[in-house]
Amino acid sequence: MDGCPGSRMQDFRKKPEGAHDESGKRASQLAQWPIQLHLISPMAPYYQKADVLLSADCVAYAAGDFHKDYLKGKSIAIGCPKLDEGQDEYVEKIKSLIDDAKINTLTVMTMQVPCCAGLVATAEEALRSAKRKIPIKSIVLTLQGDVLSEEWVS
Amino acid sequence: MEKYLNSPIKELISRFPKLADILNEYNIGCVPCSVGSCLLKDVVGIHNLPEDEEQELMGRIAGVVYPDKDIRIPKIARKNRVSKELKYSPPIKRLVDEHILIKKFLALVPWIIENMDLKSDKWRRLILDGADFIRGYADKYHHAKEEDILFKYFDENLDIIKTMLADHKTGRDHVKALIEAVEKQDPKRLAEHLNGYKELLAEHIKKEDEILYPWIDRGLSVTQVGGLFAKFNDADEKQGKGVQERYEKFVMKAERIAKGKNQKF
Repeated sequence: MDGCPGSRMQDFRKKPEGAHDESGKRASQLAQWPIQLHLISPMAPYYQKADVLLSADCVAYAAGDFHKDYLKGKSIAIGCPKLDEGQDEYVEKIKSLIDDAKINTLTVMTMQVPCCAGLVATAEEALRSAKRKIPIKSIVLTLQGDVLSEEWVS
Repeated sequence: MEKYLNSPIKELISRFPKLADILNEYNIGCVPCSVGSCLLKDVVGIHNLPEDEEQELMGRIAGVVYPDKDIRIPKIARKNRVSKELKYSPPIKRLVDEHILIKKFLALVPWIIENMDLKSDKWRRLILDGADFIRGYADKYHHAKEEDILFKYFDENLDIIKTMLADHKTGRDHVKALIEAVEKQDPKRLAEHLNGYKELLAEHIKKEDEILYPWIDRGLSVTQVGGLFAKFNDADEKQGKGVQERYEKFVMKAERIAKGKNQKF
């Protein structure tokens, strides 16, 4: 079990009873495009005064009810704090969401692996450099999609 | 038991005095409450006890109310049962931080009462500056955020909100009376109202920090937290810049005088 927790192999194929219930169908709660942080424009109408979800790429694959529990009612931007290039631009984009789009709140969702904490740090750096102040919430998921922690960080 | 769950706590304590000690054991501070109209079910619900502790408490209450019967205890409905660790949302944290300065001032009250000399200009000035702190900071800057903004998110007929508003009013009455006592140079009356204000606010702040604010935070959506944060910013801006700093300076100066580090009033 040595090595980087972000890339270490783990097998979750054995699920508890009920975990495979596929009855019913959910509608997508995504209300915009694009969503990748390099591609989004903070000036897009769906960001203005919105509650924004900044999600690490892997989160939507881990959270079984990502659309219902986290995306519904929010505008979104996604990125990977470990693999994406040009993360200085991420700071500027988030700063612009805060100052120009005047977003209401920012919820940063990450995985429990250490490299993912970089996304919260990026959001906090953007907030420090922004003129406006907004509440930022951090939600960290376990690799199996449970909430490990949920707290307001600034 | 259902009947008692829907009864005001003060009535129950008067009828079954043993309940006072039981509630105190669980840090439920209803006994000294000035209003006491909260229903037993709301009192238990709002304190967010762990499930087993809540069942134990309700069992003991039932034992007092119906000593000869084996009573089935209904569960208190709860929106979210969360960890007891206090982590406030940013706007609520701001209110808790403002309490810190108010508590620093309250800590000076015994020293003021013990040493005040109402024949001295400097003492009268210090006490009137203290009254200005209570009115300008504790009331206008802090309580106004609650009354004009935060409480508007809730039904103002809720007993817990009514209790807080009643405390604010009693605090204003104490300040009015203590200013009159300075003008009439009546140290006994001044001590009575300074102490009354201190006791009232200390208990009020404890109720808010430990009970009301966590309960409010459990019910606020992310959108509401953002809205509150923005409204608090607007409210502070309307009051003009430097209110926090000005009153911090006053409290620090009074603390220095109290510690004898600065004899200049």
